[in-house]
Amino acid sequence: MIQIDGVAKRFGANTVLDGIDLRIAPGEVVSILGASGSGKSTLIRCINGLEKLDGGTISVDGHRVDDPKQLQLARRCCGTVFQLFNLYPHMTALQNITLAPIEVLKVPRRQAETEARELLAAVGLAERADAYPAQLSGGQRQRVGICRALAMKPRYLLLDEVTSALDPEMTAEVLSILARLAESGTTMLFVTHEIEFARHISSRIVFLDQGRLLADLPTDRFFAADGGLAQPRIAQFLSKMSKS
Amino acid sequence: MRYADFTHHDLLLLLQGLGVSVALFVATTIIGSIIGLAWAMLRYYRTPLLAPLAAAVAELLKNSPVLVQLFLVFFGLPVLLETDLTPVQAALITLSGNTAAFVYVIAVSAIESVGREQLETARVFGLSRWQALRRIVAPQAAAFGFGPLAGLLVNQLQVTSLISVIGVVDLTKAGAILNVRTLKPFIVWTVIGVLYYLMARLIARSCARVETRLRAHSQWKGL
Repeated sequence: MIQIDGVAKRFGANTVLDGIDLRIAPGEVVSILGASGSGKSTLIRCINGLEKLDGGTISVDGHRVDDPKQLQLARRCCGTVFQLFNLYPHMTALQNITLAPIEVLKVPRRQAETEARELLAAVGLAERADAYPAQLSGGQRQRVGICRALAMKPRYLLLDEVTSALDPEMTAEVLSILARLAESGTTMLFVTHEIEFARHISSRIVFLDQGRLLADLPTDRFFAADGGLAQPRIAQFLSKMSKS
Repeated sequence: MRYADFTHHDLLLLLQGLGVSVALFVATTIIGSIIGLAWAMLRYYRTPLLAPLAAAVAELLKNSPVLVQLFLVFFGLPVLLETDLTPVQAALITLSGNTAAFVYVIAVSAIESVGREQLETARVFGLSRWQALRRIVAPQAAAFGFGPLAGLLVNQLQVTSLISVIGVVDLTKAGAILNVRTLKPFIVWTVIGVLYYLMARLIARSCARVETRLRAHSQWKGL
């Protein structure tokens, strides 16, 4: 269980997160929607322990993120896929995937490489194991990014606008993999602008607006006229997104 | 009467001077690099007190003439510590310190050239700060820093010639001795200059080869 209680985050005078409460239970697929600057990515960074909280607490399976001693354990429960991939440019796809399992989980190199090759094969990149990120297309890079996160066998997969830097074709490649993961029961926290896709795979939708949590509803309730859509801000956002 | 012709012995003197220059260059490069990198580590780990201290020392060393530093060490340090310092020791200390200061500057800017998200990603994946440095930051920083480092080393080779003024018989001092005896400055200083040039080229070329290898990952090899 990821427990987020009253989390606040400010950058100077700018309040980015304002008293967020959220629970993500194992097996759930939760999508976070919201306009740019609504605090979605910052929330993921907070769960990852990359931002100092200005209030509230976050714990992952009981490990407090704001406690330096427990942060390492909390991080091991989560796998993160980044908007701009953040692959290590000096390492091949295979090395990108095996680095953390070998260094952090102390998995023997051979076993780590076998598992990495299986993951790459599952996303259609079996032939590209020895390619460097610079030699891969954006969609391929993000697929490697997903493999890298999965290689840590995380209990929670955190996805931070993973298709925002991709063109529609590459977006489709990546989304089809995520859909498969969602069906297989992987717990996911999915920050996205892909509303239709979020509607398709999520069990719950969370809507952030200017750092506040405006809605946290089961997917069908969120899109129902008397549910999420009853809130003007959400209706406005959804109609704007569907036009673009 | 003075004996103004070149002899076989002169060649020996020249080689000896060359040996002293190379040895001092190599020794001060190694010592200076270790110290400079250690200072950069203090900064990477944000060590309180020591990190700003290293930055201040580096700042002092790189903004004052090496010759002044050399005089300070050679004439000043023995008075302060009440010991004797040979010219070679003084040269070692001064040049190592100077190289350290510039290696520090290069290392710091190279580390900063590595995107912040690289370190963050490694940390999110559970790597310790040391593991992140060793596997993620250092290899990428090395690729950024090697070009400037090559420039520095070529310059530091030329700077070694300053130590001739405190009596170390390096290549320049050997040239001065031969020049005074033979009174053939054009021949003597041309030979000396060519020798420095060849050494500098050698350093630059070896550095360029290493740099190419460090940057291999960013070369486009086709899909």
